[in-house]
Amino acid sequence: MAMRQTPLTCSGHTRPVVDLAFSGITPFGYFLISACKDGKPMLRQGDTGDWIGTFLGHKGAVWGATLNMDATKAATAAADFTAKVWDSVSGDEVLSLAHKHIVKSVNFTQDSNHLLTAGNDKLLRIFDLSNTDAAPQEIAGHGAAIKKALWCNDDKQILSAADDKTVRLWDRTSMEEVKTLTFNTSVSSMEYMADGEILVITYGKTIAFYNALSLELIKIAEAPAPINSASLHPEKDFFVAGGEDFKLYKFDYSTQEELESYKGHFGPVHCVRFSPDGELYASGSEDGTLRLWQTAVGKTYGLWKCVLPVCLDNSSESECGEP
Amino acid sequence: MTTPVPVLRLPKGPDPNSRGFDPNSPRYIALCRTTVATTEAAGGDEEELQQEQHARSVLRERFLRCLLAMNNKKVSDLHTPIGVQKEALIRSQDVISFTFDA
Repeated sequence: MAMRQTPLTCSGHTRPVVDLAFSGITPFGYFLISACKDGKPMLRQGDTGDWIGTFLGHKGAVWGATLNMDATKAATAAADFTAKVWDSVSGDEVLSLAHKHIVKSVNFTQDSNHLLTAGNDKLLRIFDLSNTDAAPQEIAGHGAAIKKALWCNDDKQILSAADDKTVRLWDRTSMEEVKTLTFNTSVSSMEYMADGEILVITYGKTIAFYNALSLELIKIAEAPAPINSASLHPEKDFFVAGGEDFKLYKFDYSTQEELESYKGHFGPVHCVRFSPDGELYASGSEDGTLRLWQTAVGKTYGLWKCVLPVCLDNSSESECGEP
Repeated sequence: MTTPVPVLRLPKGPDPNSRGFDPNSPRYIALCRTTVATTEAAGGDEEELQQEQHARSVLRERFLRCLLAMNNKKVSDLHTPIGVQKEALIRSQDVISFTFDA
């Protein structure tokens, strides 16, 4: 008997959820942070969606949020012209980094010692978190507001996507532009996967995969509706995308074939991310909710409990039931 | 015919009365530095514990005095995201956090 996807709805936000990020896998599981226009980013247990805490302090919409690998620190980017660093165990604000305009994106290096920020003032900034009195390094070049900035290539390079319709690769040491991709329209999202050095970019109805080092195109897929965000499964067998038609789409990565689509959100999907173990993906929407979706529908995992003796799901590898 | 995947329960939502980060959670206890709080946890030195308790109540009193001093504080040259305000009155309910240099 075929199982139907049951998304788990995480409520609590009162405005659109615009960004999501998972931590790595820690001894306490993995965690999920959500950025919301209500100004109150939230931390949740990644596999259940259970609320852990709310980071209080921003005085404007929070546009970006991230966790470091071991989920001990969080960083947020907001419309109050600050990026903040938080202790994500206690929820305390640790640092507030002033900017000259709305901050849209924050990203930790792997050792959590540096924070990359970017936003509407068109500059990339690198903050040394162990020396907060020092001014940040600044990289100029983009001609319009930067939407997303990410460390890549073992934190030796930086990728940035901006409203000037470009995605640029920068060298961290020289602070120079290495390569630029130009599009006909602004890129709506960008995700970087270190394992395999893959860059996932969305624009219009397109989900494109690039080599993150060379910025060469690997492959392209087209969705039925404009896409706001996409995420590649850690094992690179699926990718998921969501956008303006409120649905989540699941594709086969090797064939780019659309496998499934799921309804559930009551507004456009702004962000979608796979969990670090690939067992679920989380989506954030204009409707103010986050939803968790199973990769293998019907598998016993987190709060999903398969009670039938044998279940069939989309990927024929997994089955649930009594051992 | 498809059956929806059963779930054990729904994800827990936010507590309306608190910002969360439960200090009794295993992660908090393992990762947040805490001082010895109770005799049972200390396992022993009565005098040391009393000294610590005294120190803690002095700190608590000072903290409360700090909060009272913050109440309706008149300031000048207040730096805000939209510019510098020559004169301003900070109400205690406006304060989200404060730090001070020793």
